[in-house]
Amino acid sequence: MTAGIAVDGLCLSLGAFRLDGIGFAASRGEILVVLGPNGSGKSVTLETIAGFHRPERGRVLIAGRDVTALPPERRKIGFVVQNFGLFPHLDAEGNVAIARRGDRGAAGKSASAPPRDPAALLRHFGITHLARRLPGDLSPGEKQRVALARAIASSPDLFLFDEPFSALDAQTRDELRDELKAFLREFSIPAIFVTHDHTEARMLADKVVVLRGGAVLQSGPTAEVFQKPATAAVARFVGVENILDARIAGVSGGMVSVDVARTTLRAAAPGCAAAGSAVRIGIRAEEVMIAVAAGAAPSVNRLDGKITALRERGPLVAIEIDAGLPLHAYLLAPQARAMQLGAGTAVTVEVAPDAIHVMTD
Amino acid sequence: MAWLLAADRAPGAPGERAAPSSPRGLYLLCWFLGSLLTAFLVVPLLALVLSQSWAGFAQVARMADVREAIVLSLEGAFLSATLAALAGVPLAYGLARTSFPGKGVVEALIDLPLAVPHTVAGIALLMVFGRQGVLGEPIAALTGLRFWGTLAGIVVGMLFVSAPYTVNAARIGFAAVDPRLEKIARTLGLGPWRTFWRITLPLARRGVMTGVTLTYARSISEFGAVVILVYYPMTAPVKIYELFLRFGLDQAAGAAVLLLVVSLGLFLVLRALSRGAPERENR
Repeated sequence: MTAGIAVDGLCLSLGAFRLDGIGFAASRGEILVVLGPNGSGKSVTLETIAGFHRPERGRVLIAGRDVTALPPERRKIGFVVQNFGLFPHLDAEGNVAIARRGDRGAAGKSASAPPRDPAALLRHFGITHLARRLPGDLSPGEKQRVALARAIASSPDLFLFDEPFSALDAQTRDELRDELKAFLREFSIPAIFVTHDHTEARMLADKVVVLRGGAVLQSGPTAEVFQKPATAAVARFVGVENILDARIAGVSGGMVSVDVARTTLRAAAPGCAAAGSAVRIGIRAEEVMIAVAAGAAPSVNRLDGKITALRERGPLVAIEIDAGLPLHAYLLAPQARAMQLGAGTAVTVEVAPDAIHVMTD
Repeated sequence: MAWLLAADRAPGAPGERAAPSSPRGLYLLCWFLGSLLTAFLVVPLLALVLSQSWAGFAQVARMADVREAIVLSLEGAFLSATLAALAGVPLAYGLARTSFPGKGVVEALIDLPLAVPHTVAGIALLMVFGRQGVLGEPIAALTGLRFWGTLAGIVVGMLFVSAPYTVNAARIGFAAVDPRLEKIARTLGLGPWRTFWRITLPLARRGVMTGVTLTYARSISEFGAVVILVYYPMTAPVKIYELFLRFGLDQAAGAAVLLLVVSLGLFLVLRALSRGAPERENR
């Protein structure tokens, strides 16, 4: 963990708000996404790592250095905020050149990389032609490049991103996110990225920390947090569309039967709970398969139901089905048209046992 | 359908705001009332200037005492604006960036001189900085700096009534600087001082310059506080008042036009300096 970022037991009170024992770690080249709703404390966490709040307890380690007592200017951090936070009175080169290079108080063996020449950085990011432009004249993509060039100019050991894309349209966001990922891979510096958008988190993150009310609800590798949320609260927050109260009906081998509403489902859930206990199940909408052909051979978790609502969502159609339990599902718009689906259409739905996630909390 | 939804999702995008149907009647009313007020402000000054024959104006302009009075006013206003900038800009930054119990009281106190009649301000200042004043006497005894009959006294009178303009305009200027920009500067290795000089102050420049310009203009025009504190040597407004009492309207009007031309010219230059540059930057 010497070349990464580690946050350990961070506690902090700010007025009525409180961070309570925040802890996580990421190593070199990893992107850690802190995911949480507004007011969850994700920005405060980021600013505490950057050195703008002094924690009451806990430590911040960047590249193996304990920086908890250091001011922001000596922590070696690249900080990128919403709209990229370029200095509006300086042109692109001025923004990059203002970063203080050379000795930044890094003591001992973690000596900083040699100072980076602004002109060379602009060239590296392909924005030499923008050197004399003021931020007001730059597109979001150009701003991001200037912001990244500026951040890298001071040879940071850690990158912090505070919802840099939240004011952009979806397409620009996709483009800039890809570019950002490529950039972070190239420089192999750990990054902490804060967002309230679970889609964005899923696309960017190697690791995810879900934050709510100033405390960590769950943290772990992205696939784990998104596919196996520990609690219904996390499941809701990572965008699991179907979260239902259920009861374990029986356990056999790696499978459990769960009673949900007026039906029973089989779920692959090794040793999660005893028969009779109340649980919640989570099913992602894309795991709910829909077919119009009724009367096929009954199989595991195949249910007959009726469409209660259809909603177009761009290329997708969100479908609500009553199949003994209420389910949300997606179809591609042309598929839905071809199947001539409408409210009231009788359909068959199927959910694979391993797509049903059982949560005890 | 997809494009419809995409459009729905981008209400914040620049240039997407729909032009409201132009409220013609409202605009006409605004223009009409605005023209009345503008005329009310400009016509008296114009009448004053037009009342002067070139010969009469040139004669007054050659009067040594009038010229000295105008120069003294400019000097006093320059010092007053400089002091207001030196002490008022840090105060403005503190008020914009920190919160503390009693902050509202401090802000009200700073505005107080704007509400006090200037003759009242002059009397109050006399009690503090006068020959027997609580500060005037010991300061004179210790340093030899006297506030009666001197430029120092004129500056005290000017500063008292005009400093609030610098503090208020600079505070608004600082408050408009996004604190995140300062934070970013810190992470880039700039200490708090360097951040202030390189980022915060340049971005608040317009507010600061507006405030200092207003302080300067208000200092030149100050009569009430100065005339009570320091009658001699005479600043331009005091001189004009004296000419009016002794020789009547014509002489006074000549000197008034001269002061108007000089101070208006300087004011316009300062205004251009404080407005022009940032607009070029934001182009």
